[in-house]
Order: sequence, then C-alpha cells, then structure tokens
Amino acid sequence: MSTQANQTTVPLLGPEILSIESKRENEFGSLTSKDYLHQVKVVEKPLAPPVIDTPPYYILLITYLNYLILIILGHIRDFLGTTFQKKKHAVFLEQDGLAPWYSKFESFYIRRLKMRIDDCFSRPTTGVPGRFIRCIDRISHNLNEYYTYPGTDSMCLNLSAYNYLGFAQSEGKCTDAALKAVDEYGVYSSGSRSQIGTTDLHRYTEQLIADFIGKEDSMIFSMGYGTNANFFNAFLDSKCLVISDELNHTSIRTGVRLSGAAVRAFKHGDMKGLEKLIRDQIVMGQPKTNRPWKKILICVEGLFSMEGTMCDLPRLVELKKKYKCYLYVDEAHSIGAIGPTGRGVCELFGVNPKDVDILMGTLTKSFGAAGGYIAADKWIIDRLRLDLSTPSYAEPSPAPVLAQITSSLEIIMGKLNPGEGTERLQRIAFNSRYLRLGLRRLGFIVYGTADSPVIPMLLYCPSKMPAFSRMMLQRKIAVVVVAYPATPLIESRVRFCMSASLTKEDIDYLLRHVNEVGEKLNLKLNTGKSSWDGKVQRWDIEDVIKKTPEDCKHDKYFVD
Amino acid sequence: MNTIIPEVLPSSIPIPEFVVTSFSYTLYFLHLVLNRVPGGHYVTSYLSKSTHDDPYRTAVEIGLILYGIYYYLSKPQQRKGLQSNRPNLTPAEIDNLIDEWEPEPITDAAETRDFWRLAKIPVVIGSGANNYINFTRDNDKERFENVFNLTSMNFLQLSKKDEVVQVAKQTIKNYGVGACGPAGFYGNQDVHNNLEYNLAKFFNTEGAVLYGQDFCVSPSVIPAFTKRGDVIIADNQVSLSLQNALQLSRSTVYYFEHNDMEHLDAMLTEINESEKRENLPAIPRKFIVTEGIFHNSGDIAPLPDLVRLKLKHKFRLFVDETLSLGVLGKTGRGLTEHFNMDRASSVDITVGSMAVALGSSGGFALGDKVMSNHQHIGSNAYCFSACLPAYTTTAVSKVLEIMDNDNSAVSKLQRLSKLLFDKFNKNEKIKNFFEIISDENSPILHLKLNDQFRSNVFGYTQELLYDTMVQLQKKSVTNKYFEPSEMEEKFLQDIVDDTLKTWNVLITRNIIIAKHETLPIVPSLKICCNSEMTEEELTKACDNIVESMVSLCSTQA
Ligand SMILES: Cc1ncc(COP(=O)(O)O)c(C=O)c1O
Repeated sequence: MSTQANQTTVPLLGPEILSIESKRENEFGSLTSKDYLHQVKVVEKPLAPPVIDTPPYYILLITYLNYLILIILGHIRDFLGTTFQKKKHAVFLEQDGLAPWYSKFESFYIRRLKMRIDDCFSRPTTGVPGRFIRCIDRISHNLNEYYTYPGTDSMCLNLSAYNYLGFAQSEGKCTDAALKAVDEYGVYSSGSRSQIGTTDLHRYTEQLIADFIGKEDSMIFSMGYGTNANFFNAFLDSKCLVISDELNHTSIRTGVRLSGAAVRAFKHGDMKGLEKLIRDQIVMGQPKTNRPWKKILICVEGLFSMEGTMCDLPRLVELKKKYKCYLYVDEAHSIGAIGPTGRGVCELFGVNPKDVDILMGTLTKSFGAAGGYIAADKWIIDRLRLDLSTPSYAEPSPAPVLAQITSSLEIIMGKLNPGEGTERLQRIAFNSRYLRLGLRRLGFIVYGTADSPVIPMLLYCPSKMPAFSRMMLQRKIAVVVVAYPATPLIESRVRFCMSASLTKEDIDYLLRHVNEVGEKLNLKLNTGKSSWDGKVQRWDIEDVIKKTPEDCKHDKYFVD
Repeated sequence: MNTIIPEVLPSSIPIPEFVVTSFSYTLYFLHLVLNRVPGGHYVTSYLSKSTHDDPYRTAVEIGLILYGIYYYLSKPQQRKGLQSNRPNLTPAEIDNLIDEWEPEPITDAAETRDFWRLAKIPVVIGSGANNYINFTRDNDKERFENVFNLTSMNFLQLSKKDEVVQVAKQTIKNYGVGACGPAGFYGNQDVHNNLEYNLAKFFNTEGAVLYGQDFCVSPSVIPAFTKRGDVIIADNQVSLSLQNALQLSRSTVYYFEHNDMEHLDAMLTEINESEKRENLPAIPRKFIVTEGIFHNSGDIAPLPDLVRLKLKHKFRLFVDETLSLGVLGKTGRGLTEHFNMDRASSVDITVGSMAVALGSSGGFALGDKVMSNHQHIGSNAYCFSACLPAYTTTAVSKVLEIMDNDNSAVSKLQRLSKLLFDKFNKNEKIKNFFEIISDENSPILHLKLNDQFRSNVFGYTQELLYDTMVQLQKKSVTNKYFEPSEMEEKFLQDIVDDTLKTWNVLITRNIIIAKHETLPIVPSLKICCNSEMTEEELTKACDNIVESMVSLCSTQA
C-alpha cells in the first residue's frame, strides 16, 4: 500500500535498507579516538550547593510579558470562540446534560498555550532511538489542530532519548538475547507474578540486579511509573510521614498519595531545610493528635531529570542515621549512567548502598528495556513480595524485556563482552562533560552537575521553545523542550539527554548549531556566576571545540 | 481635652456616646504614637482621609486586618513550624524528644502469620502460559513436571502462533527493545500510533491510548477526568485497580450493590436530586464505574441496564474490561458485543489489557476523540512513563488482525468456558460445599465455599467478615487480618496442593491482599481455561479437581 500524500494518520514506515555497518553506526557510533573517554572518579569532597546562574532582569521581564500576552490573547480567543463559534468550542461546554470532559478553566493552559507549540511534542518516530532517530515528517495545519503526513522521514541526531548507555540497538548481544527469549518464552505473559507469572528468568534478573546494586535482593515490575505508584501503600499509612523533595517525579507523588501518608516537601536540594523539617516533625508529631509519627521516610531522586542535579547522598545518609528516618532513592536516571562503574549515585558518592533503605530505579533508561525495580535487604523484599499490590494484581515483565535487561547488565558488569561496558560508561561521562562545558563556554546558562548526562539549557521565554525546537529540527537534531508545569514558570528550557552512542564529532556538530541558533535567539545570557573563573563566557566556537575536549576532564572547570 | 480629640465618627449616625468617645480616644493616642514612628504620618493622613470620605470603609479594613491576624494565628500547625506550636520547649527538651523518638521498622517483620503464601508461588521454567509446565516452589524445594496448567490467563493463545512470533522478532530487529522515552518526547513510534488506530478500529471507538501496564490504566485515566466535587458511583465488588482509581479521583464516591440495577437506579435518582437541591453553578462530571467480567467473582455486568440508567440519569459509563475483551462476544469484541450493542454509543470509557487475552503486554483505554486526546496531556501514567517496547505493539496488532479474520479461537474458548462451568455447576457433590459465583461465559471459574460449610468449619459468615473488615478499615488498621478467613484461605490452598500432588493439575486461589482491599471479598478458588485445551483434557482435569475438592471438604466437614 502506498501512503497518501495527505493522510492524517501516522504512516507505518518500513526499515531503511542499509548495510549492517551503516545500521550499526546509525545506532551506536564507534569511538573516534581514545582521547574522548573519561573515567569518572568517586566524589570525595561534599557536594557544593548548585550555583544557579541568573539572566539579566530584562529577560525575566520579557518572559513575564510573553506569558501575559499569551494569556490575554487566549482569553480573548476563548471569549470570542464561546460566543460566536459555539460548535468549535463545544468540548468544554455542557452537552445534553453531561458535564464536559474538562472545563474551560482547567484546560486553558493546554488549549491556548501548549497547543501553539504542539508540533514540538509527540513527534512520531520509527526505528531504533539510538545515535540517530528517524522522525516521521508531519505538516501542521490550522495552528496544530491536525497534522498530515507526507510519508517521509528525517534522520536526526538524537538528544532526546533516555538512551544513556546506548543500549537502544537492534543488533548485537542484547538483541540476540531478546530474540532468543522470544523463542524460548514467547512474547506473552500468563497472569500476575504471584499466580503463575514468575519464571526462572525473573528470579535470575532479580538476583543480577541485586548483585549489581549491592543489595541483598530485588524485585522487578513491568513499568517504572507503576513501580512507584503502587509502592508506598505497601508499608506506609496515614500515621507515617513522607518528606519529599519538591521536584520529585509524579509517580512518587501518586504513590505517596495512594498510601495516605502525610507529606511535607522541602526545597529542592536544601539539606538545611530538610534537617529543620525533620526535627520539627519529630517533635510535633502528627497533626491534631500530636502523637509521634510511626515512621518517617525521606524520598529523593538520585538524578533529577529536569534539573540535572543530584541529591546530596552523603548528607542524606548522615541525616537519616542521625534522626532514625528511612531513605528512599529513585535512581530512574542515575542507575547505569552515573558512577565509576555505572552503579548510580551511591557509587559516585562512595556511599555504601546498605545505608540507603530502599533503592528504586527504572530499566527503561540506561538498559534500553522497560520496567522498574526495587532493591533492599532480603527481609524487606520478602515482606514486600507479600504486601505490594503489583506482583499480585498486575502483569509481569515479559521475557524479551528481561533478556534485554540481563544482557545489558552483564555487559555493564563486564561479564559479557568485557571492555564494552567500560567503554560505554567512559563515553557517556566524556560526552556529558564535553557538552556541558562547551555550552557554558559558548555563553549559555546550563544547570546541573558535571557528571550528569541530563543537560538542561535555559531558554526562559516560552516563545523561544518552539523556535529553538523547530530550528534544531531543521538542522536535523531532535531535542526536547520543557516548560511549566514541569519547570518553574519562567525557566523554560531545552533538555539534552546525552548518550554513549554519540561521537565527539556529533557533539561538535551539535555545538556549532546550538551556537548559531543561540546567537539568533539571544540565548547567550551566561553571567559568569557558574564559570570557574567567574568571568562572563562568550567563547568562539572554534576555540571551544579545540580546547574543551581536554579541559572537560578536569573538575576545576566545573564549579558545581 | 475634648477639643483636641478629633471627631472621627460622623454625628449623623446614632451611635452611643461611650463608643464615640472611647473610639476617639484610641484613635487619638494611636495618632500620637504613629506620628513618632518614621513614616507613621502617612498612615495617619491616609486614615483620616479615608474615614473622612467613607467611615465604614475603615471599619471594614480594620476588620479585615484583624481577621487576617486571626487567620494567621489559627493556621494548621504544619505551616507554623515548631516555634509557635510548642513555644515553651527549651532546646534541650527538643533534643530529648528527638532522641526518644523510636520509629517502627520500615516494614513489618518478614516472617509473620501470612508468610506461608510466599512458598506457594510457582516459579515456572519456561513460560507459564503453556498448558503443560514445569515449575518449582518454595526456593526449589518442591519440583513439579509436566503439570496441566489451569491458571494461565492467556485465554486465546494467539500470540503463540508462529506468525505473531515472527512479527515480534522482526520488530525487535528493526526497533530494538526499549522505546527509551515517554510518548510526549519522541517515545511514540509509528507502531504505537498504528496500534492505537487498530485498537480503535477493532473495538469501534474513535480513539485508543496505550499504557505501560494494565494495573495502572484506571488509576491514571479516572483521575485525569475527575476533580473535587465530581461524582462516581461504583459497583461494590470492583477490583483493586479501580479501588485505587477511586481513591485517587478526589471525587465523591458512592457504591451500589453488586450488579443490582434497582439499587443503582435509586441511588442515581437520589444523587441527582440532592445535586438539584444544592443549586451548583455547573453540573459536575458523573460516572458509573463497573467491570466487564469481575476480577473477584467472574460475574458479568448487565450492560443494557447500565446504559439505560446512564442515559436516563445523565451519567457517563466507565467499564474495566481487562478480562472481557477478547473473551466475550462472537468475535471477542467484549461486553458490548456480548449484549449486541455498539461500543461507541454505550460505553464512554473502556479500559483493557493487552497482557490477558491479547497475549502481549500493556494496557489501553478506549473512547471518543476528545477523551483520548485529553489523556495525552492529562493522564499521568501516559505522560510520565516511557512507551511500551515496540515489539509488544506489533504483536497485538497481528493478534487483532487474526481475530478479525477468524473467530475460531474465541468460539472455542467460549465452548470450553461453558464446559468448565457445567462440569462444576451440574455436580451435586460440589454444591454441598461450594458456590459458583462466576458467569458461564467467563473463562475464569470462581468457586467459593458456601455459607453453610464456611460457618460450620471456619465459624464465620460473609457478613461477619465484611463487618470486621469495615471496622478495621474505620480504625485505619492497615494490616487487616482476620484469623478465620486466613484459615479458609489455607484450606483452599490445601485443595490447590492436593490437586497438584495427586493429579498433576495446577489451579490457584484468587490471590488478594487484604491490606489493600477497601471492599470486602471472600476467598475463592480460580480455574482458568484457554482455547488451546482439548475438551477431553479439560473434562478429565475437572473430574480430578472435583475429586480432590470433595474428598478434602468431606474430611473437614
Ligand atoms: C524519577 C523517575 N521515576 C520513575 C519514572 C518512570 O519510569 P518509566 O518510564 O519506566 O515508567 C521516571 C520516568 O521518567 C522518572 O524520571
């Protein structure tokens, strides 16, 4: 069947016919020089609080103005629309006695603000989300009301996927393992884990993960979000307290809400505030009754996915021990991607994993698979196997996914293809540092710590988001832009997710184009606050590309 | 003295003399004090001007300020912090309190009264969806080989077909395994979009939305459309996934008696009337929530009546069809086809699983365009979770294609379901001890002990269990435990073990976690059939199970 030029549904594109070598290169670029590797070391000194660079005031003013205009325009359009074009706006009006699915007020932000830049989100893709990603071309009509698909695609440099270690591949050891699992176990499951869904492969995967993390036992689930969303109600109730970083992921918040536990938030990364909060809460106890809390759980993420910052784990462990609280760390983004051998924030900070009560993580990201895990002491896991709802009510992880997890883990641990795991880890470390320092030197404001593979670059004005995203797409680079409510209102940003599959030359390409676009959009707002010499950075692109690959290996260039 | 006191209250209003004088005095001295404070004269000039123009305004303003102070002081304690809540504590006392605090352990001790369950979980060598399986239990202490498996919920077994396996393998070769991103950020691949089209087409709705895990779909879809003040009325036997969804919905939740349409009608009338009395500015969103085939009983919801009532009372209908899609109806299109109705016009939101009859992974929600599109931005488990691996979606697409062309698997399954039902329902010996609560069309047969046997042997009734659970719930005891019902579950497990050891046939208890269930459930046994079994196999296994059941129950009685 040929695809019609103006079809309104996403076409199914076949795979490109490529030689195996080009396919391999497209998914995982081979290393161009041994210089472009970096071995991460354990962080010895305590983490300094992040230095946040702030733009000149006129930028903030413009940003607010930008929102104001959008909001006023939106309200005018809403008013005119609901008075004169009732049919077109029927979705948020009452219809024959039924309330609308969503109200005008609730959906205002989405309809009038997000809709304008809807073409920057949910771009359909095909094939492997590796070094390059094939974005399916689409043409927007009527201010993103609908799209048509001409049936073509663009190969873009991929800075959007959570493919930190580059395991999103369709050939190699992991794919072989997944295919073998399809043959041996099939693609289907049979029922919940407690009923009939547990296989020997599940047990093996759980043991392997536990060994990797450094905990006695672990449990895996078929969805990372679901892991958190159905976790806390197994051991917390309304007489327990959760102290949560204000930027924690929605899945954690949903899970805590479901448990009924009381929640107090502390400012992102503010350890002093956290200590005060813990002290206050222990003394005050539960509201109204003033009885002491049954238990207090501190919830943080290892690496925050919108900020690129890490939790101050040594301090957290100290506080947790001092005040007899429990500590829960969500390592969704950090496991595999961070630490000298990929074992996450514990390893990076030299903290014994035994000191963190519960380590959670997802398998969707660094391992190129799907699902989540929870690792803890054996007695806790045994209890959780009985008390968690997911194993008894939800589907288990399917076998091909398990095979992808185990094979990628074995590569990271050096059990399979020794050397490959180390190379991947050293490449992502180098790539992340190179891009971060490169962007800073060009004059951009970049958040986050040196070793984080999540590199958020600030855009501020909401209207610069679509501009940046579209201009990058024209230059064949796929990026993710995020704004409120995922970030504070004025801190709209683009988030580069680094991957071990990119080569240094890819990053050069990226830097050149970001430099050009950044120039046009007036994004070079760096005031030098977060640079090592305290000076305003506006390097020339050629200098950056020449000097940064060497410099980025030295910690002194990263003040945070 | 009188001369210098300013006249602040207009004499035109009859106000008692003493009020006027005392008020004037206060103001006068306040005036003096304020004039000493730097900047104070601004306040006084503002005050005198405003009282001059409009005396009531000052009164209102003062009232507001006083109320503000009152409000601040009466704020809930968590906002105020320690200083104002326990002002009298010395630092040493605070340190003492902190030292004294002894938290409970993070979870209960592992080995407790319900620990036996862990040892009963089979660990299958190979896939648990096969009809003959090898497995171990209790840390490899028990081994079983070539056991006939009546626990798998892969009812249609279509994803085992070579054509589906080949499609899945080809997809892995083209797409790899993980999608490595959420749908909003490049995680949605063409195969995901196309599965959504295929699902919508197959089930005849405008749209479909994919989710990563079936258990998470309802708890994400319902809260995306409800807020405080909305109304949900749910069947009182819905499964845990829906119970979670209701808890997260923030709405006012009512329950109607299981499948009791008269009760539902009465309650809907009452809800609408009380709503009229309240004179709300806008009508709230109102949902009836139920299941296609019930997880905990195998019953079927009476869809025609539900649709009649939802139209009559202007509610929307939400049906969790996790177990019924692919199973009910001539071609497996679910509850609506079973009752010869059209899905698009009768059910507003359908939730289904791709991990049950469709034989892959993940879940989905079906409904109209507006509703589906809103999930793309408003549903947490969709927005904040990575997309499904590509191969799971192509496998389902292929299964749907097979089902569209050929309904033999579905009709075979329905024949076997009836056979399974009859085998137990027509057996008088079983009736002495058990009650069959599932529908004859359900491929999962639920058997629970009948009331008489339960009260004779375990000394409790269903009502007592319900009451106890509700009491425990009220006291917010989270580790709900009721000894007699635990004994009953153990007894049911004995039946499972006996059929396994004597006949090499595996059945299962209906596995529930009392701690999470907010609605009362009695324990039951579950027997599942699938379309790859032969009638002889199933008949023979049923006879064996009956024998085990009867012999164990007789010794108990
Ligand atoms: C911190 C955190 N936890 C959990 C998740 C959910 O994981 P998954 O995508 O595997 O459902 C994410 C994903 O974005 C995350 O960032």
